[in-house]
Amino acid sequence: MSSIRLEIVTPTKVLDEGEVTYVRCPGLDGLFGVMTGHIDGLFALDLGEIKVTKEKKDYYFATSGGFAEVTSDRIQLLLETIERSSEIEVKRAEASLNRAQERLASMDEIDIARVKASLTRATVRLKVANR
Amino acid sequence: MANLKIIRERIKSIQNIQKVTKAMKMVAAAKLRRSQERMEQARPYEERLSGVILSLLPDVERNLLPLLDVREVNRVAYVVVTSDRGFAGAFNANVIRRTEEEIRVLGKEKVDIFCIGRKGRDYFKKRSYTIIEEQIEFWNDLSFEHAIKFGNSIISHFTNGVVDEVRVVYNWFKNVANQELRVERLLPLVYDEEKVALVDRLYEPSKEQLVRSLIPRHLNVEMWKYLLESFASEQAARMVAMDNATENAGELIRDLKLKFNKARQASITKEVLEIVSGAEALANA
Repeated sequence: MSSIRLEIVTPTKVLDEGEVTYVRCPGLDGLFGVMTGHIDGLFALDLGEIKVTKEKKDYYFATSGGFAEVTSDRIQLLLETIERSSEIEVKRAEASLNRAQERLASMDEIDIARVKASLTRATVRLKVANR
Repeated sequence: MANLKIIRERIKSIQNIQKVTKAMKMVAAAKLRRSQERMEQARPYEERLSGVILSLLPDVERNLLPLLDVREVNRVAYVVVTSDRGFAGAFNANVIRRTEEEIRVLGKEKVDIFCIGRKGRDYFKKRSYTIIEEQIEFWNDLSFEHAIKFGNSIISHFTNGVVDEVRVVYNWFKNVANQELRVERLLPLVYDEEKVALVDRLYEPSKEQLVRSLIPRHLNVEMWKYLLESFASEQAARMVAMDNATENAGELIRDLKLKFNKARQASITKEVLEIVSGAEALANA
């Protein structure tokens, strides 16, 4: 299967994933996949899960969002944060999930949007960690 | 004899000072290495994001985006990046002096200040400038989240129309021996209209929406860059300052030791003279 080069760049690190066959990203309007021969483009990414297929194995990452720039020879992901599924601390994610749920349940929080964001963030991280 | 004792005590106290400056120098050197690494790690993201943004901007209607809005400049915000601690040579003094000069041109009442770092905060607070926000005591656990926080509050200050321009005064890290004081305009965003690299590609969602979400991220990263540059500069400045201090202390100690030995010899000579003349007086009697 033909492959394409994947680079993930964040403010604190650069991950050169090398040649991959498939990348699935959380676009603002839903998931989309990229393989070789994809049209050039610039896509905004939401927070969510990124799936990378490399040498027939799947790898998962959690991100808080960013951009994907696709050209004929490479995919470049500019992300504010990226975590490999193996790097995620499940306990911490669970704790923040519980905290967010409690806050949402008690409804005395002024900043509902923020709590909801933290809820989705924790959910995504847990989902990725359990892959 | 009293003289000897005083000199001995001085030597001792200067040796203690030297130990402290040496330790500070070493700490600064370690921190400098770490912050330089961080700067290098941040660079690719900054460069690529800027690349993307600059390729998009000329294609977008300028007045659609509040952050590109060039207005008549009535009120300016200064982001003053200083350190929390001193002992770093002219590091903070340079930033403060330059900021004051700039403010004098505009008039104190037309300027809002965002203080990053304790030194600048203390200075401008004492002189009752308008401080919108202050952030101190965070340098030791500096993270990208700080940049996001600063970035967001600066952006909202600008988009709310309170200020028409945002400028940053900070120390740019040239190399270990040199830090360059820089004043840069953060907002409104400017770009070179000439450099249009039109590329035929797919945009998802629309170009305008992309730019709208790209720009705040770009500003966060710029903010991050300023923080990292300043932090590295601070450590470098402190390292150099403490190196000089250690050297000066060494010189002082050398001088004092010479003095001490001279005084010691003088007192011995005096004693020998006294004994000899005493013995002679006895013999003559």
